Amino acid sequence: MGTSLDLERIKERRALRGFTNLFRKENQAWWGTRRWWINAILWSGMLGGLVLVMLYILPPLAAATGDPNVAEAGGQAAFGLLMAQQVFFELGTLAVAIGVIVLFQDTIVNERQSGLTEWLLAKPVARRSYVLSKLCASLLVVLAVLIALPALFTYMFLSVRAGSFFPPGAFLGGLGVMVVNSVFYLTLTLVLGTFFTTRPPLLGIALGAVLGGNLLASFIKPLLYVTPWMLPKVGSLVAGGQPVPDGMLWPSLITSVVWSILFVLVALMKFERTEF
Amino acid sequence: MEYASDFAIQTRGLTKKFGQVQALNDLDLKVPRHSIFGFLGPNGAGKTTTMKILLGLTEPTSGVGEIFGHDIVAESLAIRERIGYLPQHPRFIEYMTARENLIFSANFYFRGPQAKIRERCDEMLELVGLTGKADRPIKGFSGGEKQRLGIALAQINDPDLLILDEPASSLDPIGRQAVLDIMADLRERSTIFYSTHILDDVQRVSDAVAILNQGKVVASGPIGQILNGKDGLVYQVGVKGPTDRLEDRLSELSWVKNTTVKEQKDSSLWQISVSDEAAAESTLLRHILDDQRLTVTEFSRKEYELEEAFMNIVKGDSDGHKS
Repeated sequence: MGTSLDLERIKERRALRGFTNLFRKENQAWWGTRRWWINAILWSGMLGGLVLVMLYILPPLAAATGDPNVAEAGGQAAFGLLMAQQVFFELGTLAVAIGVIVLFQDTIVNERQSGLTEWLLAKPVARRSYVLSKLCASLLVVLAVLIALPALFTYMFLSVRAGSFFPPGAFLGGLGVMVVNSVFYLTLTLVLGTFFTTRPPLLGIALGAVLGGNLLASFIKPLLYVTPWMLPKVGSLVAGGQPVPDGMLWPSLITSVVWSILFVLVALMKFERTEF
Repeated sequence: MEYASDFAIQTRGLTKKFGQVQALNDLDLKVPRHSIFGFLGPNGAGKTTTMKILLGLTEPTSGVGEIFGHDIVAESLAIRERIGYLPQHPRFIEYMTARENLIFSANFYFRGPQAKIRERCDEMLELVGLTGKADRPIKGFSGGEKQRLGIALAQINDPDLLILDEPASSLDPIGRQAVLDIMADLRERSTIFYSTHILDDVQRVSDAVAILNQGKVVASGPIGQILNGKDGLVYQVGVKGPTDRLEDRLSELSWVKNTTVKEQKDSSLWQISVSDEAAAESTLLRHILDDQRLTVTEFSRKEYELEEAFMNIVKGDSDGHKS
């Protein structure tokens, strides 16, 4: 076996030993298989389709029923634009959050159940590399497939309907809020994956946070300021160039970012102590 | 790579508790370098837990351990650079081919050059006889092929120590033989520490074994020593005639440890445990035949099968725990 003698061994004991290799593997699981384009079609089709419905089908129906909001918005085109933008940034933000949870619920759980994690960690791999490679690769998918691609179609449709470019600054602002919201749920899913070895509790907590959050906040108002539950509304207002009421934008944005960072830190600490 | 210690693995007082369950209890283990070391024990004896502790997947509750002189807790990363591991149920990245899995695995240990890494992967595929299936999806592999690929993956970094958890347990006789042949081939380069239930295999390829029961090593040493059983060297003597004085005569010999007698139809079968092989070899038969009334129909050194030795040791230990 002379070959191994010619191979250059990795010697350094870096804090992120094995990260590049694991990150490459995670990327290959998405970009090297049909998963990415199936999800790209699904999310672009779903969100883009909803936007098209709001732009072209809803306004004439609303006008026909004498909906006063059509006139208030300044006509069918303006009403369609308003509705499309609201649907994309409010409903879309919630849909993407649910999509993030469903798509990445098993990113750690599956490998733990199958024994793959154990096999990987028996190699010279730092445990934090394992967690961070999953976070980074998942984030890339969320940003590209679940957010950027549908957003590109949405921006195109809005601009075509408006007859000019939709204000890019406002649109990007709304998109930024959507990203913060998605990252919150991605990191929540990840940290839950380090605590649970089965899906039901993970899904229950994460989906409960998305779907039950607003309900809970309607009883305990201060929760809105320390959770991402207000972000869909905030994103819609920002994208529409409308003023965001005082205290609505920054507290929920900042606390969502802080929560996300905390989730990652807790996931790293928990995984470091996990026994396989 | 040279190491100061003669042992690849050394543990002292290794203990592991999972809540109230004592998985390992003061485990002392010494695995000589360049040996094929069988790690035996009934289900739940603590074999897999020991392996996981050695690999840094689980931390011991107390006790210490070293692999090639590196502390198993504090220097786990350095240890894992020099170890190859085959879990009981080998896992692979399912969407990769066999070759891609090997390249992926190799990239944890080697920086490059990539052409050499591919060459190394080809060598491993050849070693386990999977060259023809290198670029096929793993989901089409049989159990034996998966096991062999698992060994190739464990061997990809040219490890000084291979830890194999039940490497042949799920295989048919041909698959088992193939795995044993590969292990024998690897003997020169690596120490192989493996657990198994198949005692036949252990007897065929192992140099040394440790028998684990209820989290404790109850016997350990070269395979020949274990085969001698807990009674040590035993001679089996078939005797015809009145044996009323034989037991007393034998008990006068300082090197006879104990005797057991099994009465047969017209003779008796004596099992005589001795501590001095040379003395027994040259004089035991003579001492018996001193009694002119006796005829010896059989005289042999008792050869234990590993299964028998294993059962004796484990049963004896378990009985001891109960009493």
